[in-house]
Amino acid sequence: MRVLLHTGKGGVGKTTLALATALGAARHGHRVCVLSTDPAHSLGDALGERVGPNPKRIADGVYAREIRAQVELDRAWQSIQNWLRELLREEADELVAEELLAFPGIEELVALRAVHEVEETGDFDVCVVDCAPTGSTMRMLRFPDALRIFMQHFFAIERKGARLLRPLVRGFEAGRLIPREDFFDAFERLYLEIEDVRQVLLDGERTTARLVVNPTKVIVDETRRSFAYLSLYGIATDSVLVNRVMPESVGGGYFSRWLELEREALDVIVESFPVPIRRVSLRPREVIGTEALEELALELFGDLDPATRFESSRPIRIRREAGRTRLEIDLPGITKEEIDVVAKGADLHLRVRDARRMISLPESVVGRPIERVRLRPPVLEIIFGE
Amino acid sequence: MRLLLYTGKGGVGKTTTAAATGMLAARRGRRVLVISADAAHSLGDVLCERLSGEPRRLAPGFDALEVDARQVVESHWGRVRAYLVDLLRYQGIDEVIAEELALLPGAEELATLVCVEEWACSGDYDLIIVDCAPTGSTLRLVTLPEVAHGSLRWLLRLQRAAAYVIEPIARGLVGAPIPTGEVFAEADRLFYGTLHRLRARLLSKETSIRIVVTPESMAIDEARRSLTDLCLFQLASDAVIINRMLPAEACREVFFQEWGRMQVERKREVEETFAPLRCLVAPLAEDEILGVEALAEHGEILFGELDPSSCLSESPRLRFERDKAGARVRLPLPGLDRETLDVTRVEDELIIGVAGRRRKIALPAGFSKLDIETVVCRGEELIVSFGARGVDGSTGASQ
Repeated sequence: MRVLLHTGKGGVGKTTLALATALGAARHGHRVCVLSTDPAHSLGDALGERVGPNPKRIADGVYAREIRAQVELDRAWQSIQNWLRELLREEADELVAEELLAFPGIEELVALRAVHEVEETGDFDVCVVDCAPTGSTMRMLRFPDALRIFMQHFFAIERKGARLLRPLVRGFEAGRLIPREDFFDAFERLYLEIEDVRQVLLDGERTTARLVVNPTKVIVDETRRSFAYLSLYGIATDSVLVNRVMPESVGGGYFSRWLELEREALDVIVESFPVPIRRVSLRPREVIGTEALEELALELFGDLDPATRFESSRPIRIRREAGRTRLEIDLPGITKEEIDVVAKGADLHLRVRDARRMISLPESVVGRPIERVRLRPPVLEIIFGE
Repeated sequence: MRLLLYTGKGGVGKTTTAAATGMLAARRGRRVLVISADAAHSLGDVLCERLSGEPRRLAPGFDALEVDARQVVESHWGRVRAYLVDLLRYQGIDEVIAEELALLPGAEELATLVCVEEWACSGDYDLIIVDCAPTGSTLRLVTLPEVAHGSLRWLLRLQRAAAYVIEPIARGLVGAPIPTGEVFAEADRLFYGTLHRLRARLLSKETSIRIVVTPESMAIDEARRSLTDLCLFQLASDAVIINRMLPAEACREVFFQEWGRMQVERKREVEETFAPLRCLVAPLAEDEILGVEALAEHGEILFGELDPSSCLSESPRLRFERDKAGARVRLPLPGLDRETLDVTRVEDELIIGVAGRRRKIALPAGFSKLDIETVVCRGEELIVSFGARGVDGSTGASQ
């Protein structure tokens, strides 16, 4: 299954282009599922019809679903929920337990799990994800890494601890705090599902991100950083979609200054992103409903299948040249001062602005010193010595 | 002290509007602080200045800052964080990664709240304006004190009790570090103290929320839902700002004629939907609005004679109630003709029809499984009562 993540700054048209992509892909014969993982859903608003937490058919071969943490939790995570309810039993009524479950972090988890679910059904060839604005999406993409570390280092201990403690504290107030075995089982299942999603997201042949922008300086600047973060987390971006380009018929007049700014922004877009750029012009009216969205898809992709991988190069690449090994990573819009690189054991610790990641090094360079770090925008090159 | 929160869908111009409001108020003699709460900060871009986690003076009476979650977490959550880092390192996790992980989910929202409360208490300002992240996060932000107040407080108490009982046993068995009383004391201060105070502040008359929209249906749809959500948490909104209306001059451009016509319709829709909230209109400018001077000018256009820091209108007192007796929606409907009233629920929306005009109200999550039991009018208030869990589907009732 192909996964297409749509992200970008708020209000640029992520939902609209995600839906256009889905409808376009269906025209090429794919069975498509559109998932909205933004808690402020707008699939329904863009379609002009209601979309809910259950898959809804919106066109031939296209289903849409807005993920609601509450519903998903009710559906799938009974034992974890029961434990929390039990824990809160005396003072909290049901509503409060529900509120707690809507706590930050849960949403990311639920969103990732939904992608897994679409894959599991086997009913779809393409999963188009309409993500939340950039910041939350990055949190979502970072989540599997964090969970993996937690599970590897803690889970066994927690579980062992719980087993040992349970008989000792039976009957005490504190005894309620120690979850039962089925809680751990549920948690482990959940982890394995998220781990599956992680594999899917990091596989550039299956998953690519599409960054949606408008031709405005502030938006382009932020999107360049998003591209860099996606690279850092190992997610391949295969195109940048420029939405709301002024049509050529707009001659100036009141908009002359805006046209000038737009031209500058478009130049920056072409220069900064090392992937194909696709454009679509501002429409003469609001784009609402499948018909208008299909029309948009046609301008955006022409005869191309929107599910195609438009760029095959990976965000992090290992190259060998004249006996030297070089690690390359695409980081547009990032200056050298914002990057920190250290090799530690089998990992490379890379910091880009306020984001950090450990990248596993290929065996051939483990233990070798970093000879040089060079930024040739948008590519960061890390060259290892002999 | 007055606290204003600007919210709305991404890209509608929250930051520009918030900064313009602040600059105008400062120009009219108030001491103003504008706080950017969106992790993807753009306040600095709009003001054309580099901002940090500390207030920076940009014009007489006008300060601005961008919340630095790391810094706030460090100073208010240091012990809890240090404990988490300890625990992670004990597990053999590298310190750098441990620090990353110890930035708990929700840390950003928490940091913003702490920062707002700190400056609100400082006495340095007459007006604090918060430029919120797009809708989803704003709601998370404003409801966090509520959620924390309700359940975390109980959880923390239990955890503490448990730690005292379990600690001596657990240390021997598991070997992992156990949180000390100090760790809990800090969590207490944050949740009982700071967040509790801020919750009171958000619910008081000194706080208003302003919803920014563009005259486009997707932005309006989202704003309508967020108004319902804000009501659910009894947060008062005092105005809707319709941003980027195409001025007559812009509509002379052939391509934009249809946009112009549609915007007029959308504006009317906003005025009807959000009444009795005051609607302010800002035209699309001919150029980007950057820098303090341009922002102050923009503020003049938006507010005219109005005082930007005053309470611009009383919030509609739509209320959701849920207690042991059941769940109710209360909506003030002055001058209601009962004969023409029609109330239905379609999935998670309550549709209230009055004399052929319909108003859709998004029901909060807890109501979605309930059926309408009774619809009564008491005085000028409509009360829709919901009964026990029913089967799915729509249920109608009218009286």
